[in-house]
Amino acid sequence: MPRFDTLPNAWMVWDFPAPARRGAVLEQTRELDKFLAEIERRAFRMAQVALRDPDDAMDVVQDAMLKLARNYSSKPSAEWRPLFYRIMENGIRDLQRRRTVRRRLMAWLPGSREDPEGEAQDPLESVADGGPDVPEALMQLEAMQKLEVLLRALPARQREAFTLRNFEGLDVADTAKAMGCSEGSVKTHYSRAVHTLREQLGEVW
Amino acid sequence: MGEYMQEERANALESHSRRLFLESVDGLDMRVRSRLTQARNAALEAAAASSRRPWLFQARILTPATGLSAAMVVVAALWLGAPMGRHPMPVADQAGLEDLDIVASSDEASGDAMEMLQNDLDFYDFADKATNPGPDA
Repeated sequence: MPRFDTLPNAWMVWDFPAPARRGAVLEQTRELDKFLAEIERRAFRMAQVALRDPDDAMDVVQDAMLKLARNYSSKPSAEWRPLFYRIMENGIRDLQRRRTVRRRLMAWLPGSREDPEGEAQDPLESVADGGPDVPEALMQLEAMQKLEVLLRALPARQREAFTLRNFEGLDVADTAKAMGCSEGSVKTHYSRAVHTLREQLGEVW
Repeated sequence: MGEYMQEERANALESHSRRLFLESVDGLDMRVRSRLTQARNAALEAAAASSRRPWLFQARILTPATGLSAAMVVVAALWLGAPMGRHPMPVADQAGLEDLDIVASSDEASGDAMEMLQNDLDFYDFADKATNPGPDA
């Protein structure tokens, strides 16, 4: 009669990786840790530029990290950056779509305001104007706020192209991968974004 | 000259906006940094857990396999659980169906089907007369 304790160990613990594979997994985990640590803050700020709300931005970044780690960590590390930003931009788009639906629903309800977040206002109105005696740091903060407001007012694809190319420093090919479009489209979106921003910011910059 | 100026201004905007962005990244508060670290650790744990799982049970393989299995089970259930399967037909009906099947499957051009039917009818007529002789017999 067969006894379980006579079975070779491999039958009993077949779900644990072999030592060589375990080493590879550790190395991969270390590399993933390094990659995520390197991009997480910029990714958070980019998500915040798009969504404004820091909690929403945190959720989107966290979700992108989890999805990348679960589904794509076995891919070559060179592919992680465009993949991560693709997941994140999809998350941002989903959240914005949900917000739009919610806003439309709220508009139907009696007593609700048409634009609870004040998005229809002139975006530059909400930014404080820096006087001559305002310290340098505050001036920079205000300039960034101004830029954020203008970036939020851009069409989504233009904002994506600008933030990925300029803030994250992705090249055209990786930006195209992250945005899921052609390199030509990236160039067009980027150049339109720069043109609009330059017009809006005028001589201030 | 105008194009050159425009390009220079665009470059200035790009470098200035990038500098501002990076400064805002450096200025993130400790609370946000701590939450990002927690999120990263959770992601790394998830990655480690998914690599520990045997390949058969990994979601990417298991999900399509589960879907396919479920579809096959449904098809099998529909096939085997059809009304004909649950309520067997009386034997007499089955015999009738078989006859009909034989008739239908015969080559119509040769007239076999009708001939066979005709033979059977003659035989049944004869048998009936033999067992129940009428008043004229």
